[in-house]
Amino acid sequence: MADAEEDTFPRGGPSGEEPDLTDETQDFRFLAAISREDASIPKRGEKDFEPHATTLQSNTLAASRQAMHNALSFQRVHTPKNHSLATYHPETNMAYAYTPRGPLFARMGAVLSATEDPLGNDELRGKRLWLLPEEVLYLMDRGTIDVRWPPAGEGGEGEGEGLVMSLQGAYAMFMGDEGRVGGALTFERYAVYSNLKRAGYTVHRAPSWDSDDGERGSECYATIPGMTRAWHVGLFNYYTSWWNIWGTDDKVTDTERAEGPLVRNKLYRSYPEIYRRLALIPYHDPTAQFGPKDPESATDPAFRITYHVWKPGSTTYKKSAPGPPDFRVAVVNARDSAVPTLEQIGALLETTPYKPPPDNMQIYQKLKHGYKNVILAIVDQGVVSYLRIADAAFGREKSFERTSHGRGGKRGGRGGRGGRGRGR
Amino acid sequence: MRLDTKIAWHSTGTFVHFSTTHEKIVLQAPTCDIESRLERQDQSLRALPDLDMATTTSPPSVSEPLPIFKLAQKYLLYDADTVAYLRREHNICGVLIGGLAQAPQQNVFSGLPLELLPEEARLLVEKRVAYVEDDTINHRRTFLEGGLGPEERRAYQAALRKQGVAAAGEQTRRSDRRKEVALKQKSENGNWNDLPEDMLKPSPGRSERQEASINTDVRPHDKQDDEALFDSTPSPVLRKAHGSRVSTSAEVAPYAVTPTTSYPPLQSSMSPSESVHVDVPDAPQSYPIFRYLHDQGYFLAPGLRFGCQYMAYPGDPLRFHSHFLVNGLDWDEEFDLLDLVSGGRLGTGVKKGFLLGGLEEVSAGNRGQGAAKSGDETARGVRSFCIEWGGM
Repeated sequence: MADAEEDTFPRGGPSGEEPDLTDETQDFRFLAAISREDASIPKRGEKDFEPHATTLQSNTLAASRQAMHNALSFQRVHTPKNHSLATYHPETNMAYAYTPRGPLFARMGAVLSATEDPLGNDELRGKRLWLLPEEVLYLMDRGTIDVRWPPAGEGGEGEGEGLVMSLQGAYAMFMGDEGRVGGALTFERYAVYSNLKRAGYTVHRAPSWDSDDGERGSECYATIPGMTRAWHVGLFNYYTSWWNIWGTDDKVTDTERAEGPLVRNKLYRSYPEIYRRLALIPYHDPTAQFGPKDPESATDPAFRITYHVWKPGSTTYKKSAPGPPDFRVAVVNARDSAVPTLEQIGALLETTPYKPPPDNMQIYQKLKHGYKNVILAIVDQGVVSYLRIADAAFGREKSFERTSHGRGGKRGGRGGRGGRGRGR
Repeated sequence: MRLDTKIAWHSTGTFVHFSTTHEKIVLQAPTCDIESRLERQDQSLRALPDLDMATTTSPPSVSEPLPIFKLAQKYLLYDADTVAYLRREHNICGVLIGGLAQAPQQNVFSGLPLELLPEEARLLVEKRVAYVEDDTINHRRTFLEGGLGPEERRAYQAALRKQGVAAAGEQTRRSDRRKEVALKQKSENGNWNDLPEDMLKPSPGRSERQEASINTDVRPHDKQDDEALFDSTPSPVLRKAHGSRVSTSAEVAPYAVTPTTSYPPLQSSMSPSESVHVDVPDAPQSYPIFRYLHDQGYFLAPGLRFGCQYMAYPGDPLRFHSHFLVNGLDWDEEFDLLDLVSGGRLGTGVKKGFLLGGLEEVSAGNRGQGAAKSGDETARGVRSFCIEWGGM
């Protein structure tokens, strides 16, 4: 079930069976095990409770620290065979590379059009791949590209490619100088980007990256019952009006609501009839929202969709036309913002597409799935936690009607669930 | 669970009783207990670094004060030696935010750079272990605004080239060795038929290249640099320019190297002697409890994903589980009783103590024994309370 997979994102969450190894500092002595081909992940719980000043313990700690130091001292080298050069472009705080090699570039970078290319429309434009700051940093971090500072103006002899940029230099410019060019890349955003990329996801900036350019098109709302349903609606109205005439309506009239009784004396043949009369509290119904509630509602800058994310094995993704993303991620800085208010979350969810759960889903899964969802990536000083927030409609899942609905599958013969979900 | 019936708080004692409709719970707030515990931890921790030095093959030496690089309101370190040094000598872990180039598709182990919490940066600056450098300005000045003379540029390139040659040589040696081992295994299996005769010798092209690299390495004027061959960072000695190098080692085809740090060619803008006046980084309100616990020998890490501000570890988190979930508060700050309940429950659920603490107002000067010995303003008068569910 594709939807069940969605629920497990990210891997090893708190509800998952497997512990999330990224939760805690792992012993670097096991790094060798992870980078070998028959990779095995270190087990948890091999730590001690407290220092007891034994030689064994301090030796183990020293070995771990040494392993960590060795791992951190790794030098990034580029063999002549797969040497990809890129040049820093200070005016835009991006970098460009000429036809870089490697499978990673199938999902990163962009060749810009003649009007957009900062270097103008010269004969090399078609080969020039522009890399965004987070892309450069990530590629550099994994040792894929060799970034150079722009060559010195007077053309120093023998350095046509410019000086080598160190990782520190890359952070200093691509992160530290973002403010100067008005960019919106922050450490929190980069932490999420690199975290997802390392896990294999395809990540792109969302349209609302640096402005309130949220997509609030028709896909964000439930579809209004269209022409094909008109007949149904008409008949339904006709039907209910007949029931009204005979006075056997289920609904509670206004006078009853004001003066009672809610359940008047009469013959009831099932409990749901009674429960339905008792259901007085209004609830939020995502299936009945066909347009923006408040046309001027704007998302809070602290809670905006930052990235569009595709699963590692996504078959529909193409760099030229990525298609709808599998996940939408909003990056939140834990130190600058508090738990979002209903308003902030509401505005944020408003910008996500309407994705109702399939009808034949179990009630609890349905509640978990929700009608709209967004993933919050909360970053506390470089430590990322992912939360999925969904717009669940508790009011629609009436537990007293559960038995009458059954577990679905009965109507499965009629076109499958993909075609039906939206039309309701 | 509703806490609707009587709640009795014995302010003089250390017990808090909750009577609920379903169960009886006792909250304990042993104020003195924690301190003695911390002290014990502290003593055992003091012993660690010495033992460490003995077993580590080459403890990296770092001279204080060391630079912390500030950019976009974050405090970063790029040097593996500095990271190891701070961990060993000052109980500062930070958070590794980069990836490991040798294992790029995983999130279990992270690499440089290391991000320091503002609290950690402030603590190091206050202790005069470190000072803060604005990294963006430094890099702009040096690389974009022509702060580097042609001599220095050449020297930088030569140093990198040399590392590249070393890396290439090392790589060739390693692949030759691997080949040899593989072939030996094969020959021991008795499967000689599909082996050409000259396979066991290193390929001629490679040996030539190796010789070339050896030749360049033993040139007389290079002897002083040999130490730096396998270092991850070019040593400052390399900054002495050798104009002739570029042409002599051209036949070796060095690998391109991306260094981790920019020092050199960058030079510290501050000589150690003038580091008297430095900017002290801003830290959040919870800084006093952070500093207090750190002074007691604890390692602290950001704790949001565990539901608190900091995790307190009794030793290096590489080796130990954390003991406390820490939240810092102002002395007169009001908070919900429910926070106390949920925090205590959370802590007990993960077998950790839920620790609250803050800076006591100055007027209450009757509290001497809990104060840190460092005599620093912020750590004095911090009191901490540990909440556990009593099993009654």
